Amino acid sequence: MRVALAEDGALFRDGLMMLLEAAGHEVVGATADGDALVELLATEPADVAILDIRMPPEPDGGLVTAERLRAAHPKLGLLFLSHYAEAHYLMRVLQIGTDAIGYRLKEKVGSVDVLSDTLTRIRDGEIVIEPVLARRLVERPSSSRRDVVAALSGREQEVLRLMAEGRSNGGIAHQLVVMPKAVEKHIANIFSKLGLPADAAEHHRRVLAVLTYLRSQQDGA
Amino acid sequence: MVSLGHRGAGIQGTNPYVSGEFLHNEGMTLGPDDDTARRRQADEHWTRRRDLERQLHDGPALRIAALTLHLGLLGQKAGDLRHDIEDLQGQLHIVLQELRLIADQIYPPLLQEAGLGAALRELASVLPAPVRVDAADGRFDPAVEGVAYFAVLEVLRDHPVTTRTVDITVRRDDDGLALDLAGADTGRGVTVGDRIAWLGGVVEIVEDAGRRTIKVRIPCG
Repeated sequence: MRVALAEDGALFRDGLMMLLEAAGHEVVGATADGDALVELLATEPADVAILDIRMPPEPDGGLVTAERLRAAHPKLGLLFLSHYAEAHYLMRVLQIGTDAIGYRLKEKVGSVDVLSDTLTRIRDGEIVIEPVLARRLVERPSSSRRDVVAALSGREQEVLRLMAEGRSNGGIAHQLVVMPKAVEKHIANIFSKLGLPADAAEHHRRVLAVLTYLRSQQDGA
Repeated sequence: MVSLGHRGAGIQGTNPYVSGEFLHNEGMTLGPDDDTARRRQADEHWTRRRDLERQLHDGPALRIAALTLHLGLLGQKAGDLRHDIEDLQGQLHIVLQELRLIADQIYPPLLQEAGLGAALRELASVLPAPVRVDAADGRFDPAVEGVAYFAVLEVLRDHPVTTRTVDITVRRDDDGLALDLAGADTGRGVTVGDRIAWLGGVVEIVEDAGRRTIKVRIPCG
């Protein structure tokens, strides 16, 4: 696929270009800041743009650049790479969009398979959330949510974690080596136990619903 | 967790605390010029800490993240070594997580980029104790944000997990930062007082209906 990237650290930018090319992707351009990426993508079509969160324009140029890109090219997939997996940035990323978008740690995309899998899921419209962060949110939800999450069965917590990574039902079934029907049943149980509306179980809405639930400080917040 | 030299440039001389519940810098004999010098010293100290965090991020952390990409390339070429290489990448992830913990103790990057409210919410989400944060998005000086953040961390890090929720509110009043910690262990208020006095601020403990609140006030422009 066609990929553009913006990253102010030359070492990481060069390494990423090489890995993308080794994975068989076409790098249509690599810039050191967000404004140059916007300019580049005005003339070069791409499937996915990779953005460093912490780059010029400071302080979090990746996010403001992504807002401009989403407005100009609604179908362009967006992958944020960061040195930090913070819930704060995850919520800001999901404010930009809940489809064809991803947020991963820089050192976690360092293989052809992982990088390609991440990019493919984003190009296909999915949300990809750093598993390290999804796990932390499920293991340590906001204090008012802890009792409810702790009361889920072990298997339900696994399913919740994979939902928080943005996985589809098929993706969850594949990861857990179970039938999709079983996943649907777990998800229905989880939504019922968390008190989330059943219509939020639709894929894109449910990632936001699940993450908001884990992060929020009290009922209705 | 925090073991850095906060006190390195602290106040010399008399104990600034009045015995009992009201803690401020009474007893100091410094004049207005000394206040200015002390504040400048504090600003320099916290700006330096912020710069150090940035150096960690832009230097060694970026280099290690780039290394994971180069290892990924190597794994692509040497298929039989792939598992060993993935193991090395996993170890580099751990190195980076350790560096992140150190960076957080110097000056949390989120505090620098998104301010006190965002940094305290992220802190609340990882502490074992139940904590609610009510904070607007407004920004303060690096020194004020740094001192306030680490004061909260110090008060909360030993807060018992199973007890009452601590309510933190952050707002700007006419003089500067107003930070309240309701339901916190007030014994800790004393230990954070000198850093706050360093910035010309005061710590006061009030009791209302059996619930104690640590009130921190730090002047700033």
